[in-house]
Amino acid sequence: MKGLTKNLVLVLAIAVVLTGCKQPTQLIDDAKAAIEDVTKAGADKYAADDLKKLNTDLTAALDEVNAQDKKFLKKFGTAKEMLTKLKTDVDALKAALPAKIEAAKNAAIQLQSEAKAAIDEAKALLAKAPKGKGTAKDIEAMKAELTGAETAFAEIQTALDAQDYIGAADKAKSIKEKAAAVVSQVQAAIEKKK
Amino acid sequence: MKTLSRTRGALLLGSLFFVCSCKTPLAPPEAQQAEVLDQALWRSGASFYAQENYVQFKQSLKSAKEKITREKAKFGWFRDYEPVRAEFRELLQNGEDLLAKVEGLKSSKSKYYSEQTAALSARIERLKQMTDYFNENGPVRKSLAQAEIKLSEAGLLLQKEQFESMGNYLSDSMTFIRQAEQAMMDVLSRYMDRKELEKWRRWADETIVESKAKETIAILVNKLERKLTLYKKGVAVGSYDIGLGKYGLSDKLYSGDEATPEGRYHIIRKIPSSPFYKALLINYPNEEDQKAFALAKNKGLVPAETGIGGYIEIHGGGKDNLTKGCIGLNDRDMDEIYRQAEVGTAVTIVGAVSVEKTILADIKKFEKNG
Repeated sequence: MKGLTKNLVLVLAIAVVLTGCKQPTQLIDDAKAAIEDVTKAGADKYAADDLKKLNTDLTAALDEVNAQDKKFLKKFGTAKEMLTKLKTDVDALKAALPAKIEAAKNAAIQLQSEAKAAIDEAKALLAKAPKGKGTAKDIEAMKAELTGAETAFAEIQTALDAQDYIGAADKAKSIKEKAAAVVSQVQAAIEKKK
Repeated sequence: MKTLSRTRGALLLGSLFFVCSCKTPLAPPEAQQAEVLDQALWRSGASFYAQENYVQFKQSLKSAKEKITREKAKFGWFRDYEPVRAEFRELLQNGEDLLAKVEGLKSSKSKYYSEQTAALSARIERLKQMTDYFNENGPVRKSLAQAEIKLSEAGLLLQKEQFESMGNYLSDSMTFIRQAEQAMMDVLSRYMDRKELEKWRRWADETIVESKAKETIAILVNKLERKLTLYKKGVAVGSYDIGLGKYGLSDKLYSGDEATPEGRYHIIRKIPSSPFYKALLINYPNEEDQKAFALAKNKGLVPAETGIGGYIEIHGGGKDNLTKGCIGLNDRDMDEIYRQAEVGTAVTIVGAVSVEKTILADIKKFEKNG
């Protein structure tokens, strides 16, 4: 009986060794598929840094698999843990993605407001800018430039409506920058007049 | 007891056999290297920049991995990874080449789009500088601002290495640049008309010849160059910078159009104290102006209830002021002209007399260089 127990332990030990020898292929495939899914869901646009980290983690896990594969006694336990954690992280990102998209939307809306504020500031400055000697022509040119920025401003909403929040944010940034440039020019014109 | 020993022996042998199976031969390390390379390719955007090659790589990788799986299914003693190893080596080489190709493609795209962006930016800047030559630059500057915004958006994409949409943004920017150029040509095309130039040149020559023949003072205003030249007995004795109206480069047609008339006039009154320092009133509208106005009125080109206008002066107050169609000068220059001009002094206002050294030469150069 005692001998039988010993034999059973031995068989179990061999089974453990055998199981340990096998690469966690299924886990690798699952992790890759999950990353691909979350990428398609918009992680490349709205969670680029998180996605990059996941890919780095995947590479690390694959490195671990590779390292174990070269050993006489293979222990894929760590790699499995890494891959399981990776899968959990991907799932977490997938769950968090709608919130991140919402945050990108809010950031774009915020930038839209900032662009509007910059246009309004430029408008207000232009309204009180001196139109006398040396500035009248410049002021007219700046007004025309601001009209161009105002025309482009409508495109932000179009991008927001199309759920292109990154594009909307980029547009808003560019318009804000242009309006800010007009503000600087008007201020320079006011200084010139003093 | 004997049976137990045999069982034990068989188990030991079995485990030794499995240990040996795990030991020999090992799966080729190239398989893992190929996985890592696949990640690098994915991250570099190979699926976008070299889709066909990348799909090919993935298929080859899948096929090679399947071969490894098949080999692994065999007993250790019968495993032979060499053929698949060779396959993986080739795959790795192809993958490395593909990665280099993708990186090269991205680098060349980045360089190309950077150059395109810089070229468009320079073009916008040059056009902006050109608008300094004329007051009617509102539509040009509006389009240029829109072009700048599109270019700025393209710049943000360039920073993010998102080249796929860049072409559209640069194309949009170019569309606005072309609109700006068209708006500029709408104002200046008249100045590039040979017949108009000949007419203005003839007026200028006649004015100078008369000044010489009659030994009088004459004033020649060149709108495009924004210069007023004072002639004495046919010789230029002074040249002064001037300012014009909001639509100064257009020929005045009716009241309130803020354009400066073109034609041969003379001073009809000297005004020593005017809201614009000192002023010299000219005889606008002359006979030709009245004919042109009547013709335009008949064609419906003049707003209803609008007259031909008048009170066109050469006055002080500053050359940088936007006038309502008059010719503005700095007060010190006005003093000089006022002192020398008399009632009856010829005042000839032309659009331009030559293309050289004017915005027109720049436009020609610009059109040539694209």
